[in-house]
Amino acid sequence: MSEAASANAPKPSSSVKLVLLGEAAVGKSSLVLRFVNNDFQENKEPTIGAAFLTQKCSLPTRTIKFEIWDTAGQERFASLAPMYYRNAQAALVVYDVTKPSSLTKAKHWVAELQRQASPGIVIALVGNKLDLTNDGGDVSEAAGAAQDESESAQNGEEGAGEEDEVQDAVSGDARKVSTREATGYAEEEGLLFFETSAKTGTNVVDVFTAIANAIPESSLKTGRGTGAGTGQTSLGNRSAEDSRVNLGDRNAATAKEGCAC
Amino acid sequence: MIPWSSFVQKAQSLIDPANFNIPALSSPDHNPSKASLFRQQFRLPDSQNPLQEITADLVLPLPNSSANQGDGSRKVDRAGNTYTGRLHLSERFICFSTQPTSFIPSATASTSTAWTGQTHGTGPSGNGFVLPLSCIRRVERLHSASHVFSLALTTWNGLLNKQQEPNLVPQRLILQLVGSRQACERFCDTLKKGLREGMKEVDNLRTVVTDCYSEYLLSGAKGKGQDGNESDTRQPPDAGLGLIFRYPGDARKLRDRSKMRLWGEYFRENGRNATLIRQPTFHKLIRVGLPNRLRGEIWELTSGSLFLRLQSPMLYQQTLSKFDGQESLAIDEIEKDLNRSLPEYPGFQSEEGIGRLRRVLTAYSWIDPEIGYCQAMNIVVAALLIYMSEAQAFFLLSALCDRLLPGYYSTTMYGTLLDQKVFESLVEKTMPVLWDHLTKSDVQLSVVSLPWFLSLYINSMPLVFAFRVLDVFFLEGPKVLFQVGLAILRVNGEELLETQDDGSFISVLKSYFSRLDESAHPRSENPKLRAITRFQELMVVAFKEFSGITHSTITETREKHKGAVLENIETFAKRTSIRNLGPESKRLSVDDLGTIYDRFYETLYQWEQRQRVIEEETRRQERKRSQRLSMLAPPADTQVGRVGLGPSPTHMDYEAFREFLAATSKWAVADSPGPSGKEPSSGKSALWANRRQPANHEFMQRLYRKWATNPEEGLNLQNVVNGLARLKGSPDIMNNINYFFDLYDDSGNGQVDREGILKISEALLFLSRRGFEGTITATPSVENLNSTADRDHAENSLTTDEKFLGSVSAFIRRCFEYADPSHPENRKADQQDATAEATEKLDSFAIGDDDEEEDLIDVDDTKPASSPAPDATAQTAKSATPESNSDDHNRSTSESANPALDPNNPLHITLPTFRMVVLADELLEQFFESYFPQSFHLSDHPHPAALAASSSMSSNLTTFSNLGSIRSSGLAAGSAPVAGASGGIVPPGKGLRGVLDNIVSDGIRMAAEVKKRMDEAQRDLERNALSREEDEDEEDDEDYPRRENTAAAIPGGIPSWGAGAYGADTERRSIVRDADRDLLEGAEVLGGGKEERTSLLDGKDDANHAPRKVSGSAASAKDDGSPTARDGEVISKLVEFES
Ligand SMILES: Nc1nc2c(ncn2[C@@H]2O[C@H](COP(=O)(O)OP(=O)(O)OP(=O)(O)O)[C@@H](O)[C@H]2O)c(=O)[nH]1
Ligand SMILES: [Mg+2]
Repeated sequence: MSEAASANAPKPSSSVKLVLLGEAAVGKSSLVLRFVNNDFQENKEPTIGAAFLTQKCSLPTRTIKFEIWDTAGQERFASLAPMYYRNAQAALVVYDVTKPSSLTKAKHWVAELQRQASPGIVIALVGNKLDLTNDGGDVSEAAGAAQDESESAQNGEEGAGEEDEVQDAVSGDARKVSTREATGYAEEEGLLFFETSAKTGTNVVDVFTAIANAIPESSLKTGRGTGAGTGQTSLGNRSAEDSRVNLGDRNAATAKEGCAC
Repeated sequence: MIPWSSFVQKAQSLIDPANFNIPALSSPDHNPSKASLFRQQFRLPDSQNPLQEITADLVLPLPNSSANQGDGSRKVDRAGNTYTGRLHLSERFICFSTQPTSFIPSATASTSTAWTGQTHGTGPSGNGFVLPLSCIRRVERLHSASHVFSLALTTWNGLLNKQQEPNLVPQRLILQLVGSRQACERFCDTLKKGLREGMKEVDNLRTVVTDCYSEYLLSGAKGKGQDGNESDTRQPPDAGLGLIFRYPGDARKLRDRSKMRLWGEYFRENGRNATLIRQPTFHKLIRVGLPNRLRGEIWELTSGSLFLRLQSPMLYQQTLSKFDGQESLAIDEIEKDLNRSLPEYPGFQSEEGIGRLRRVLTAYSWIDPEIGYCQAMNIVVAALLIYMSEAQAFFLLSALCDRLLPGYYSTTMYGTLLDQKVFESLVEKTMPVLWDHLTKSDVQLSVVSLPWFLSLYINSMPLVFAFRVLDVFFLEGPKVLFQVGLAILRVNGEELLETQDDGSFISVLKSYFSRLDESAHPRSENPKLRAITRFQELMVVAFKEFSGITHSTITETREKHKGAVLENIETFAKRTSIRNLGPESKRLSVDDLGTIYDRFYETLYQWEQRQRVIEEETRRQERKRSQRLSMLAPPADTQVGRVGLGPSPTHMDYEAFREFLAATSKWAVADSPGPSGKEPSSGKSALWANRRQPANHEFMQRLYRKWATNPEEGLNLQNVVNGLARLKGSPDIMNNINYFFDLYDDSGNGQVDREGILKISEALLFLSRRGFEGTITATPSVENLNSTADRDHAENSLTTDEKFLGSVSAFIRRCFEYADPSHPENRKADQQDATAEATEKLDSFAIGDDDEEEDLIDVDDTKPASSPAPDATAQTAKSATPESNSDDHNRSTSESANPALDPNNPLHITLPTFRMVVLADELLEQFFESYFPQSFHLSDHPHPAALAASSSMSSNLTTFSNLGSIRSSGLAAGSAPVAGASGGIVPPGKGLRGVLDNIVSDGIRMAAEVKKRMDEAQRDLERNALSREEDEDEEDDEDYPRRENTAAAIPGGIPSWGAGAYGADTERRSIVRDADRDLLEGAEVLGGGKEERTSLLDGKDDANHAPRKVSGSAASAKDDGSPTARDGEVISKLVEFES
């Protein structure tokens, strides 16, 4: 709830284009669904092409409106990706902590973004499905590991990584990608790093908050709306207020967003 | 050559739906062939070709049936309809269409594409029929007073059921052919032939037809309780999951019953399923939406997938059982999505529905491995399965992927991307204001529209409406998707103009889709207007306002954009794949990687093409038509890997690798086009004309084996990149020496034996035979070394190439000199001395401590004896001008030569020895330091092919013209067997014996002699009945059969370096060196059989000479970038000649 509204007074609002990339079925759409609607579906339809959703994130000094592009993960859709990450200011590169191949794919995406996306793009590496690992059960601890900005998050993870490996050895953990390996890589490449669970909600909001904080003030274009200011970003009443526009969805939701253009 | 152009061409041939059946090679123009237009228009399988066509009147007799009908609701008092159109005949179909078309070969392209214009809602095949010949029961020639040539066709319509249909009137239609008597006769003859064949397929027809709901409907079984109790027992055919889980939408609101009644009537009058005749009502009935239980059948009919099913009715079941239990990547991907396909439809929350979906997707992934499975197919197939059986969905999916949505689901999805571009450009053209707005507010249209096309609106509109779109889509083709898309934007135009970003843009459309069933004019006074739903409005806008969007609009726009789209995809693919090559690849520059990438795939592509042409030729000879697994796909000769080979190739085998090397290194190009029986002699010469015939040397095989992770599987891009990175990636000479040594360390124990040493020397000569490209220069001191012998007059004029021969020769000598015996117990005293000497030197060179373990014993043995290394040796190591050693060397050569040559004393060199020997020679050092790695040309040099191709004509590479007659003798003495087999140039007329004395020994000859002597020794041994197992011999025995040419049979012959590689090259290695004379003399004595062999060669000479020259000029013409038809001819003749 770190971004829960402190906002009764209008704050400067700006929009940030964010793209989600990663192997098929790692849980990209689920992460977005959790962030936007605080919901989770066991049988989420695969994303065809891309889905577009928006969600606001309230920071102490400003409001960030995320324009989220959720892309399809199947390999052959990769050539469509440039269409979606074009002009993106932030990217969530997602892998599945129980599938090592998905981290490899994530690394490919990071490399692709670093070379092809707009310079200065903020990239967060996200290991999803934390609930399937042993440390996934303890929400508070895992959440504590990485809730702040990149530096502190990464420092925190160092310690956690070692614990992981001990745990891996002891139990029938589904984890196949150690925290340490991923942190190491994230550090090397200067990425934000989180482990999340879309299912339980662990760390999900934190990822987006961290990204919002990491976007340099200078690169923010002012949003079309001036701060919405009605506190709709708190998790509780989100679903009622926020627009959720899925390209594949038949039941349309109108974007209200409280913005008066 | 632009590396990607061929790729683009390939992909283009895949993209163009009309291009399907033309071999991409023989039809460079982009006009779709008439045959494929014909198939497209009538939705026929690819096996069909237009055989006959003639203008005709179709006379449909007054439907008697309706008069006899009990209900009598329709009092028909019109006369029989007559349509004028074109009658077409293919192998298995007779088709009639009112669309003006012509597919005869003499028709112009414009007339044959006429149908792609407006079809006024009748679909491309217009009014008329497409009858499988197996449907025709009888044909009568009608007598008529006039000159009209009339045929009456009676069909099996309604007669294939077990039960007698009530009130059935046999379907009979009359065709009045309009044309000359001969034309009519010809048509009838072909028809007769076809009918005879068609009769064999009546059983298929019966099977297929029984699955059609129309048969059930008309059999009267449906009308329960009316009459005919016995028919009640019949089960309705599978009309999709809807029969079990209900069809989507409200059947009453959809007026399903009355639609059904109308269709029943239509069927009775015009035939059903395979025997249906299309009259204007047919198209109208489709436009208003199909009734649930007939939907699947009509889709099958209009899309033409019915004909695919008719062609191989059991293919679906067969495919499932054939691949039962097998796994694949596609299956994994399918499994992930099974629960995620139309989850809101109850049928797909059940095992029944999921199971059907799984089977159809899986079966399709097997018959079309190139597509496998693409997300969105799950949604489309799920939708189909609501209305049709598994088999029907399977064939319809095939029609979709191959013809209706070409390239949509391919691994690059180029079809999807292309059609997005097409759509955008149509929006720009038809709605410029909206387009401007979208551009200004940076809204990306394709982001919205892509799912529309990819999942046929199924995922965007409420299902009932999406199915209405599909009804028309299957009849009229892909243009419908565009028309509907444009209409959506047009209808929402005003609202869309107010949106400012992607988000609001998407919301407008989403809310529109959710209200499609509402009134389009809710506030209208006119109740009729009020009754019009938004969906109806959409249909009207789509098909009226955008009626100008025709099939040819789409085809033309696709044509315009496909180049750019493909380039984008390719750039992306290349970028991604290069970036993902792993750490090893970082040693090469991005440019180099790009070059490797292009060359790799270009080679693969061309290799495939050639293989296919060859296969095609073979197949043509065997049997013309063979049953293909994939149905609509073009025959195997037009599309890569369609039938047996799987998805487009990623691995190159050794043969393709040779081609790759030939494009990379000059030494890998053969000197003359070798005889290759595989190459077709005519027609396709262009494919071979551009080609550098690659050499085939043992060294190349070694490289291949070294680079491959799995030689069986072939080399992938990663292997090639890693292989080259290790060679070129570090400028370290040690690295290169080690690498080379490793290539020959067959046993992996750090030792290379006698055979290996000889092979290394052969490889050195092979690699250097085209010169050094200026990477090696000999310093004067080398010449001094060479002139230690008594004959030194020509030394200063020796070229580097020639000096290098000396170096190789010295290399062999030294190797044997410093080799370690393989069995310590066999050592004799003198050998020990030699070893001691060797080790001592070895120590003084002090290279590569890491290998010391291997030599531990030797080192221990000899350490006490080792004297302090003389400065001279150290100096040698550095300057590689072992002047002070040369005498030593020669002496020790003679001393150690004999034991070295004795096959009873197996020996080997280790890596340190090898390094020492290499570093002892300036030229060899330079060879490994610069030439060898640099001889692999990547982006850093002009394309080596250019150099290589012209090399046979230029003087800097061969001394061909300079050396004159000496060469022939050198050749004769040294490598006659080689040349003899490979057909190199042998200048005629020089006596052998006379020149022998003067001949020089080059490295090849050295090797030959060494071998020969060993063999002689061996023969002696055998003669003395001393049977002992010899390593050498075993190797030789294994070795020779591998070699392709006859030289292999000759004792001491040099293994060939393939097609003609060596003829000229051996010749220029004509340097007399006295040190080698003794060997030579031996050769003279031993070489008894040589003479006749050489004379054989002479005989061959003329024959081989001519084509070589021709090829040279053809090749150089090609390198100017202007391959001409004449070059092609020349080459093809050449090929003919050679084979
Ligand atoms: N246990 C667990 N399952 C998850 C989690 N996140 C997603 N899933 C499941 O993983 C599957 C795929 O989730 P999606 O969100 O559709 O994955 P995606 O990355 O959007 O997939 P594509 O759209 O095909 O690229 C679904 O069945 C989800 O229920 C998680 O945090 N924990
Ligand atoms: Mg998704």
